[in-house]
Amino acid sequence: MRVSSLLTFLFLVTICLNGAFVWAESSPLSNRQSDETTSTGKKSGMDTNIEGEKSVSSGQTGEIVSENKGSATNANTESEKLEPVSAGQPGETAGVGKSSVKDTNIKSEKLGPVDVEFETTFSSTETASISDPIQPYNRSIFVFNDKAYYYVVKPVYKGYNKAVPEKARVSVRNFFSNIAMPVRFFNCLFQGEFKGAGTELARFVINTTFGVAGFSDPAKSLFHLEKQNRDFGQTLAKYKIGTGPFVEWPFIGPSSARDTVGFVGDLALNPLTLLSFFAGPFVSTGVNSYDYMNEVSIDKGEAYESITKPAIDPYIALQDAYVQNRIKRIKE
Amino acid sequence: MRYSKIMLVMFIGVFFWAFMSPFAWAEEEPGKLVMESIDRGLAILKEPSLIGAEKVQERRQRLWEEISPVFNFEEMSKRALGVHWKKRSPEEKKEFVELFTDILKNTYIGKTDTYSGEKMEVLRERHDSSYAEVQAKLITNKGTEVSVNYHLVSNHGKWRIYDVVIEGVSLVNNYRSQFNSILLKSSYEELVQRIKEKK
Repeated sequence: MRVSSLLTFLFLVTICLNGAFVWAESSPLSNRQSDETTSTGKKSGMDTNIEGEKSVSSGQTGEIVSENKGSATNANTESEKLEPVSAGQPGETAGVGKSSVKDTNIKSEKLGPVDVEFETTFSSTETASISDPIQPYNRSIFVFNDKAYYYVVKPVYKGYNKAVPEKARVSVRNFFSNIAMPVRFFNCLFQGEFKGAGTELARFVINTTFGVAGFSDPAKSLFHLEKQNRDFGQTLAKYKIGTGPFVEWPFIGPSSARDTVGFVGDLALNPLTLLSFFAGPFVSTGVNSYDYMNEVSIDKGEAYESITKPAIDPYIALQDAYVQNRIKRIKE
Repeated sequence: MRYSKIMLVMFIGVFFWAFMSPFAWAEEEPGKLVMESIDRGLAILKEPSLIGAEKVQERRQRLWEEISPVFNFEEMSKRALGVHWKKRSPEEKKEFVELFTDILKNTYIGKTDTYSGEKMEVLRERHDSSYAEVQAKLITNKGTEVSVNYHLVSNHGKWRIYDVVIEGVSLVNNYRSQFNSILLKSSYEELVQRIKEKK
């Protein structure tokens, strides 16, 4: 009984290769240059207000700069990032904020601009929302996913965590990530990131050899070659394909119309998909669900809980987190 | 004479130092503030006398006392409610700030219980006269890096955090989406009810 339900789960999970719980994946701070800005059309004049950035720990800053893809637009994009903050500046310090004694005289002067501030700062984030025409359907899938997570996925990965030490699980992640290199390599090429493509190629060579078939990541630890998290959804976004409506997929979780197409594109680029042709669907399913479970066991399960647990409306919280995270990753 | 010159320079130096220092003190550096707060928080989490399951409440309390002054909860609440904030009466605002502060306290202080050697690094900061952003990264014990950006607002030279952005996901914006979505269909009273149920 237990085995058969597990098998059904494994089968369903085949489709969930590397797209599941994407927002949890970390990526280095790097340049942001994209048309898909949260605050469209707010670039005017604000740039001048921004002071030059100051390094706090000087050693770190050096590293970051080298991580940046060496483009000259650095200063420009930096200030662009600050925009949502500075958008409402004139009125920000106004009365609504602190009720301390010092504030009182400023209060009366500045009450006016508060309205302006609300309009500017808040409308900018309004554009970050996504259309959700099939929300009732999505919500029911969300409830299903949530139950599947707590009743199936979590118990399985808790057991797995007990059996397999964390170091080994991270190695497994490295291994699968190394295999999926063509996904990142080709998407770097599609996005015109030739340097990134070169980095991915170098990483693959180093990690496959010195990293013992990709189980460890000496390319990062010894050569400071960071993984380039590029996916086909980003590529489509760079070619100005709109996000489209929000979709909640069973097991895969939140996605958009564009990112669903991207997900399929990434599957096509992933050598693991070829496995089903050679080793048959059963092996392929097993391997994919193992990869999935491994990912969830490291940090994606935690990320899911930390988004939905403190939420008043978990469905919206997850949707918004997905949208915000996607915007960040597309800007990178 | 050489000696008197040195005296003069010293006098000017001391004079200006004494004159300038109040302004220098008033001008806290946002990056430093964030870094020091994190350090103080970590010191509590690492303190041997507070380790252990039976000390959970005491540790949470100490941490809250240490960390909460760095946040501007009113600003957070205001931004989380967005356009709906100004429609509220002063009493409702006050109640809302308390409720929202409680949500943040309960969920985020609770998360520290599982602290296991994660490290924080401040990467860089930038600020103008009233806004600042401090970019940091959290390095988990698994070696994964998570980008954490703190957004600060200045109030007479005192920097206070009003938003935390983790991997591009703004805490305040996330709550605003939820509140907006709820207020689209139901009344403010119902929203407050749902927040109270959450506690």
